[in-house]
Amino acid sequence: MHISDGVLPTTIALGTGVVSLAIATWSAKRSPAEDLPKVAVISAAFFVASLVHIPLGPTSIHLLLPGIVGALLGPAAFLAILLGLVLQSLLFQFGGLTALGANALMMGLPALACGLLFQTLRGQSRKRQAITGAFCGGLGVLGSALILAILLALSGEDFLGVAKLALLAHLPVVVIEAIAAGFIVSFLVRVKPELLEAPFTLRKEQILPDTKPKR
Amino acid sequence: MTEHQTIHFAAYWLPLLGCGVILCSWLAMRSLRRMITARQTTADEQIPTIDAGAAGTSLIHRWDPRFKIIALLGFAFCAVSLHSPRSVLVALLLTIITVSIARIPWHRPLRRLLAMNGFLVMFLIVMPLTVPTRISDTLIIFGDWQLMAFNLRGLELALVIIGKAWCVALLMEPLLATAPLGATLEGLTRLGLPGKISETLLIAHRYLFVFLGEVQRMRSGMEARAFRPGRRWDTLRDLGNFVGMLLVRSFERTHRVYAAMQARGYNGSLPHHHQFRGATSDWLQTMVWLGLGLGLVLADRLHTGGF
Repeated sequence: MHISDGVLPTTIALGTGVVSLAIATWSAKRSPAEDLPKVAVISAAFFVASLVHIPLGPTSIHLLLPGIVGALLGPAAFLAILLGLVLQSLLFQFGGLTALGANALMMGLPALACGLLFQTLRGQSRKRQAITGAFCGGLGVLGSALILAILLALSGEDFLGVAKLALLAHLPVVVIEAIAAGFIVSFLVRVKPELLEAPFTLRKEQILPDTKPKR
Repeated sequence: MTEHQTIHFAAYWLPLLGCGVILCSWLAMRSLRRMITARQTTADEQIPTIDAGAAGTSLIHRWDPRFKIIALLGFAFCAVSLHSPRSVLVALLLTIITVSIARIPWHRPLRRLLAMNGFLVMFLIVMPLTVPTRISDTLIIFGDWQLMAFNLRGLELALVIIGKAWCVALLMEPLLATAPLGATLEGLTRLGLPGKISETLLIAHRYLFVFLGEVQRMRSGMEARAFRPGRRWDTLRDLGNFVGMLLVRSFERTHRVYAAMQARGYNGSLPHHHQFRGATSDWLQTMVWLGLGLGLVLADRLHTGGF
């Protein structure tokens, strides 16, 4: 779930905006200039994937996928998520204009953490990778929900009730997301394992020679 | 805690009022949805285009994108800083006037407002029930249900939040739909956003529609193989594979796209096309907007007492 405009106090909205712009710039710097079309195409893919609705009881939820984005993109995940959120807010008004920074932190930080975690824990066998993927997928959503609750709680005591409820409402999503992430990773291991090869293992020196434009 | 006022209603009012509110909002939503779908040009238009109304000639259309971004973004931040319902109402009125000046067809902003409903309705229900009671608050209590004390201050808070969210949502249309997306993004780059980010956004926006087509193709393929979302475990496995396949295809497409871009001379940055003017009228319009925003915040703070 995204925070919409008008909920957070202006100081928090501006502060999170500045922080996420800084992280996004770092994220863009860490990915070579020539990789940006790839980041763009992948953010579009994740955007579309998040439109897929899964029936859950009387309602339906849509996948958030922060864990998977992190695992696939490494440091570029933050940029991809920020772009996805910008598009969502420009096109559909999911999330908002002034709350963009807060939403980016909410989804992007867990993505970075889960990506790192996935690359360290994943091991070799398909089963283990799927289980790690599921774990990271669930953890990503849990992290987002926690950050959402913290941001709401920081907005004043009036929002404590909403914060608790939002955290509670995310718990079923965590389970669904974990299972889906496990299946996605297991599919990728079978079909195109090189996608899961860690962007995190790339050192900066390995990236640098590519950043010069080829003429 | 003891000094707050309470208004008592008999217990049977609770289900009565609840049902009434739900029925009214459901009817309103349905008629709005009908209105919006009736206005859509194509049946399968799932994603609206951002800059559909870019060809107009209104005052807002002629505004230099750089100034427009600063002014409307500044106004949006001023609007979300408001506290009192009255000033939010004024801000809402101003944004409505802007949308009519820009001559944007009303179904587009309405669609944005509808999209936010889920989150905002949650606030409307949760806030009155969970807000801590203060001395000056008025509580509505139905019968003996002390737990379901309905705090009017919470309701006011929720309504203010909804008003502010609507304000920004309404501003999005004049901000984005009145210039081609490329011009808006280039304006942002001129204002200091890293060029990489805005270019990536432009490409991502383009590929969104490609992938949406892909998803529809894959979905009809799945449906042709008798996929029906339902039983949970199977559905999740199939959807997991579906998302995995989408990712694989998009990664493969990135390589082709990148090769094609390189073949056309892409060297890490896109060429710029747009001419920016920065005439006196642009400055004037921007000043008016920022002045209005700051004035509203000032009036709001004087009214509610203290910053």
